[in-house]
Amino acid sequence: MSSPKARAPKQTAKSATPKSAAKTAAKAPAKKTAVKKAAAKKVAAKKVAAKRRSNEPVALSGEDKVHFVKAIWEGVSKGGKDSGKASAKSAKTAKAKAPQVEILRRIPAAAPQNKKQNALSQKGLAFAAELEAAFAKGELEALSPEATQALMGAICKIYGANQESGNKYPILSGRMAVTGTDVMITCGGLLKAADLQVFELGMWQSWTGI
Amino acid sequence: MAEQFVGKASEFKDGDRQIVRIGEQEIGIFKHEGEFYAYSNFCLHQGGPACEGLTIARVEERLRDDKTSMGLHFTNDMNFVCPWHGYEYDMKTGEHVSNRKIKLRKYNIVQKGNDVYVIA
Repeated sequence: MSSPKARAPKQTAKSATPKSAAKTAAKAPAKKTAVKKAAAKKVAAKKVAAKRRSNEPVALSGEDKVHFVKAIWEGVSKGGKDSGKASAKSAKTAKAKAPQVEILRRIPAAAPQNKKQNALSQKGLAFAAELEAAFAKGELEALSPEATQALMGAICKIYGANQESGNKYPILSGRMAVTGTDVMITCGGLLKAADLQVFELGMWQSWTGI
Repeated sequence: MAEQFVGKASEFKDGDRQIVRIGEQEIGIFKHEGEFYAYSNFCLHQGGPACEGLTIARVEERLRDDKTSMGLHFTNDMNFVCPWHGYEYDMKTGEHVSNRKIKLRKYNIVQKGNDVYVIA
């Protein structure tokens, strides 16, 4: 048998003070209702999921519908339990969908010819511009035949010497609009002036590679 | 259609080009006379890299009143040429120079400060 002294502390431990007893009494029903509501929401959501899986038409009671809507709403509402997951998922899909910009190549503008020209070249460029302007106005006799012959002869010598010495550059720049007819007439004239035949030109080109 | 960042405006000098791939599209971005232009890099002829060829001023023949030729001259209008078979497109519109009905797909360019975006 146990003595009454020994039982006494047990009794005091079990019995609560009047204040704490009142608090627990007030909290208990609130907790119970919250748990009940959550359970009801879960049940409603499970019912809908089961119906969806079975492809049966979903028939819910009014209360079930309210719980289901609440469950859905809480699932996606900001700060809700699943909102973090949902936002992470949407960010992931958005990232996957966004097309990536891949730079395939960069093509720089053609380098401008800023080579410093000497005084004679500057004069030559200015003179050529004057000639072009006169030609554009239709002044075909802007340059006399003697002047043309002198210029052509000098240019032939300078260009030929440069080519032979290895300083190779095209005789016309890419931006000069000279027609094929112009070129053929001028080449023909030069060959004729030097008493050369076209086959001699071809033979010489194949030998020298110039 | 979304804005896609393609580079800094300061990185493009006048006359520079950049070819980018956005998803399945290849786009050529040109800077010409301070303006940006963007076109599909697939030539309408045989799908060549339309934006990667020469850029060349348009050539026009000037005629006197009696219709005799004064020769061919470069104008100030710029074209770009597909390197495969020489299809030539207008830099400002993307139209084929000899048949204006043929037109490369044009993309809009948006510049926000120093950032250049293509809408694709």
